[in-house]
Amino acid sequence: MRNDTKRRHGRMNRATKLMLKSVVNSLTTLMLVIILNFMLFRMMPGDPINFMISNNPRFSDELKEKLIDDFDLNAPMYVQFVTYVENCLTFNFGNSFIERNTPAMDIVLDNLRWTLILTGTSSLFMIVIGMIIGIIGAAKRGGPFDTGSLTFSLIFYAMPTFWLGMMMIVVFSKYLAWFPSSRAISIGASLDFSWTSISDVLWHLVLPASSLTLVSIAAFALIMRGSLTDVLTEEYITTARAKGLSKGRVLKDHAVPNAMLPMVSLIAIDLAFIVGGAFQTEYVFSYPGIGWRTIDATYKMDYPVLQAAFFVITVVVIIGNFIADLLLIHMDPRIQMEG
Amino acid sequence: MTMTGEEPLQVKSPRRAFHISEPRIEKLRIVKKKTVATWRIFKKNKLGMMGLTILMGFVVIAILAGPVMSVLAFIGGWDSAYGPFDRVAPMGAATPPSSEHWLGTDQWGFDILSRVIYGSRVSLYVGFVATIVSMALGAGVGILSGFWGGWKDAVLMRITDVFLVIPWLVLMIVLAYVLPGGPSISKVVFVIGITGWSSTARIVRAQVLSVKERAFVERARAIGAGDMHIVRRHIFPNVFPLVFANAILTVALSILSESTLSFIGLGPESVEVVTWGNMLEDAISASAMINGYYMWIAIPGIFIVLVVLGFTFIGHALDEIVNPKLRKR
Repeated sequence: MRNDTKRRHGRMNRATKLMLKSVVNSLTTLMLVIILNFMLFRMMPGDPINFMISNNPRFSDELKEKLIDDFDLNAPMYVQFVTYVENCLTFNFGNSFIERNTPAMDIVLDNLRWTLILTGTSSLFMIVIGMIIGIIGAAKRGGPFDTGSLTFSLIFYAMPTFWLGMMMIVVFSKYLAWFPSSRAISIGASLDFSWTSISDVLWHLVLPASSLTLVSIAAFALIMRGSLTDVLTEEYITTARAKGLSKGRVLKDHAVPNAMLPMVSLIAIDLAFIVGGAFQTEYVFSYPGIGWRTIDATYKMDYPVLQAAFFVITVVVIIGNFIADLLLIHMDPRIQMEG
Repeated sequence: MTMTGEEPLQVKSPRRAFHISEPRIEKLRIVKKKTVATWRIFKKNKLGMMGLTILMGFVVIAILAGPVMSVLAFIGGWDSAYGPFDRVAPMGAATPPSSEHWLGTDQWGFDILSRVIYGSRVSLYVGFVATIVSMALGAGVGILSGFWGGWKDAVLMRITDVFLVIPWLVLMIVLAYVLPGGPSISKVVFVIGITGWSSTARIVRAQVLSVKERAFVERARAIGAGDMHIVRRHIFPNVFPLVFANAILTVALSILSESTLSFIGLGPESVEVVTWGNMLEDAISASAMINGYYMWIAIPGIFIVLVVLGFTFIGHALDEIVNPKLRKR
């Protein structure tokens, strides 16, 4: 008993240490992203404001003055940088160039909610379906289900996400007319928690979410299958079978929980890829998420919105990675963080 | 397997004429032996061979795009073998498939079938060159990071993490947007190469860390080998197979990225360069989905899927060979 508490105490210390390390890593990454964001938008030919204005007839000299003032653009580089970091930390990227009275950040946060709905739903489905395919595949390796499901998911994996979306629109929206081909909600409707609103949102979500899910299943299925196959060769599995447990029981209680670790790391790594896929889906389906907004902002040369979108989406992914780190630390007592 | 050639080799005078030193002949022989051995294992992998067949098919189509069109023109009895930039129909409105233009013509008046066939050139080109860029970066950062260790390693890995964390498409869009100069193939290659190296760097670093601890590295150091020599002669040959397998998978991703960038309109203009991505962009802007020009959407996409599948299959087969842990299963 005493021994037990002692060990647990020791593990707490280790976990705290790892968590601290993870926090420091995330913050360093965040700082580097801010620096990158600062540098990227100053790589544009000429100074950003002039670049924007020469392409944008909507600007008056007065507005230009205000912008230069807001971002200290006449000040030396290091002053600009300090202002920039301050603005990042207070989420202030200035007003949109198109909707001049709205802060860029408000626009982007409004879009973020739709992206979270889309990626959240799709991630849930791709993880669950991927796991099921992987588990059955590993349990019956080389069987017809294994070969069939893997080939199927690899074919979807090879598809450009935007193209799958286009084909979905052709088949399910134009030909069969089952689902809408664009938008996240019917025109004129607003998002609240009434039944009609929720079902409307879900109805619009079906096609974008399924295209995003289908292209990503393969990654999860392959990892689950590989990691479970590894676990199944371990000696404790043989022991469990030898003491008379059924095959299903061994899978459920011994193999699958131990095969979950690589899945969690994969979710963290894949987050950035899923967001990339979400960008394409949102664009094809005119789904008003952050990806649609980013692409729209590049067309309209809406520089503050583009910068805010880049910042927000990266922060969200860093937070996602951080959560996955915490989960891993919690799940695996042996883990050593690398790097 | 002596690399220093203590005992004289059997091969003599004829090769001496070309000043190939004996250790080098020995090295070439080892490389040849390993390649043959790898090929033997690869040949047994059904998916891998399927991928290789698909890929060879596309390479042939890309190189012989002109002759392929001539053959099709002969079969179809067309007036001539249309090129991707020949205006065969009036500009303005797309036309549906016909016996003269099997996939129809687009809003610029170009023959879509010919554009799909010529489009394979750009896809393969961008795929290969972008991969070379990102492999050089990834392998370089991975090897140096793993070999140096300490604070340099920490710095390099934090930078790698930044590139891992930023969603690739977001970074690509922003880069394509802020880089000077109009849209072009070289810009697309650069953007894809510079965003795609981070996961390779991670994998290579892990491998270097394990190779570094092996006895032969220690032995080389003990007899006075310098850092450069160890990296070049001991570390690099041991991570190369891994880099190669990874490169094949990266080609697949690069081709997908190219089509996405072109589709969003950040790639080269479709009247100057034809890629499958900007064909699909044209299709969307000509409302092909609403007007029912389904072949125009379906065919370029199917070509992308086939090429990517080909590379993915080969990549997985190679991965199983270089990753003994996978082969054992």
